[in-house]
Amino acid sequence: MESLSSTILDAITLLLSGDKELWNIIGISFRISTTAIIIAMIPAVFIGFTLAYANFPGRRLLISLFNTLLAVPAVVVGLTLYIVLSRQGPLGEWKLLFTQTAMILGQIALSFPILVAMSHTAFQSAEIRAWDTARTLGKNPLQAFFIIMREVRFGLLGALLAGYGRIIAEVGASMMLGGNILNSTRNIPTAIAMETSKGNFSQGIALGIILVSLAFILTMSLQYMQGRGRLTHD
Amino acid sequence: MTNESSPKPLTHIQFIQIQKSYSKNGFGIFNQTKSPNIILNNAEIQLKGGECRLLTGKNGSGKSTLLRILAGLLKPNSAIVNTGLESLTWKKANKLIRQNIMYLYQEPYMFDGTVKRNLAYAVRDGKSDYQIEQALKWANLEHRTNTSAKCLSGGERQRVALAQAWLKQPSVLLLDEPTANMDEESRQSTEDLLRKFKDSGTALLIASHDINHFHQTMDKHLLLENGLIIDISNEDSFKKDNEKIQAYDNISIFPKQNNLTHEN
Repeated sequence: MESLSSTILDAITLLLSGDKELWNIIGISFRISTTAIIIAMIPAVFIGFTLAYANFPGRRLLISLFNTLLAVPAVVVGLTLYIVLSRQGPLGEWKLLFTQTAMILGQIALSFPILVAMSHTAFQSAEIRAWDTARTLGKNPLQAFFIIMREVRFGLLGALLAGYGRIIAEVGASMMLGGNILNSTRNIPTAIAMETSKGNFSQGIALGIILVSLAFILTMSLQYMQGRGRLTHD
Repeated sequence: MTNESSPKPLTHIQFIQIQKSYSKNGFGIFNQTKSPNIILNNAEIQLKGGECRLLTGKNGSGKSTLLRILAGLLKPNSAIVNTGLESLTWKKANKLIRQNIMYLYQEPYMFDGTVKRNLAYAVRDGKSDYQIEQALKWANLEHRTNTSAKCLSGGERQRVALAQAWLKQPSVLLLDEPTANMDEESRQSTEDLLRKFKDSGTALLIASHDINHFHQTMDKHLLLENGLIIDISNEDSFKKDNEKIQAYDNISIFPKQNNLTHEN
């Protein structure tokens, strides 16, 4: 027990001392995941909206498809993209494997189904009356879309946080697509996996603390927002 | 009505050949023998500024469907819109319709936020505070300015919706059961506001079961039956004459409509 507590103490000292390598890894992690979520968000929200409001053949099939994709393990997403991006793969010429771009692509693929499924649910929570009211007040479809987005903003933020939570802490795809290269593609989860296998626990725990605190902040804000969403009548 | 921000370009609009049917959901083989569910069959309706038309019909006769088509919110199978100047298909007239015709739900939808914010959605630039204040005053909602709109009562919601309409100044106002489930006081204030619209030259179309309440306001009485809109205003007066001779107890629903109808 003594060794565990001293390791945790070491980890905290490491974080507070501003260890350059450590904070570099943290920075890479956040940069990649934030880029991925921003890119994925825009089309995903639009698809979620379309699934909720438009009626077209194959709509239910698409909803089921995105719900199925939710359950696809990260390593499978990593594997698929690995095959596509590897030298012999269809996009091999782009030489993207083991770059940050590959990791971003992997994280987009991972977060996309969550974002679509959850924003679809969020948009479903607003009634058709909301859309009709905006339209009959003379708003064009785009303005009405933004009004509805505002109506369901807590649900959409929830989708965003859930998607972010999934990709920031994910090892499988990052390892396969990024390759854990220092100062380039080594992010928090891959670094934890590596440091642990090296027996370098304090480094691993320091990064783990960052992830756990992030998870805590995300969950708290999610809870707060859902609470806010539920406070209204109607 | 002192709000003169937007002129009213339409004083008269006519919808003809309105056709609407819902195909029954399901797989083709099971449905082949059934005909689609026809809601509106070659119906036509005319709306004139300053006139109030009351639309009655049984539950499920398609009153809401008709109103939503007229408001440009629901696509009909086909319909032709006649403005007096030009004749357009429903699709081509959609923008014109939505600029000039406003539809109010039986239970108006309140957007998340204050009453003031809800009214701001009805103003083009969203920032005209003076107009919004005027609208609040007009609908007697000043004390509710900063209340969360979702916390309002049914009557107050209806007044917020009418204040939105006052701000938007549509040529035609379509109302779906505007006084249903309201107490006498709310009903009265809603009716008063509707009369103000009528007096200012807005065309009103009210779908309601409450013939008695709108008797004073309405100029024409339309009946939606079997997919057709029939003007039964004359039968109303016929009924009024009859009333003098014999008392009748069925106040809301016309007895034996089928035998009485004659199309105008």
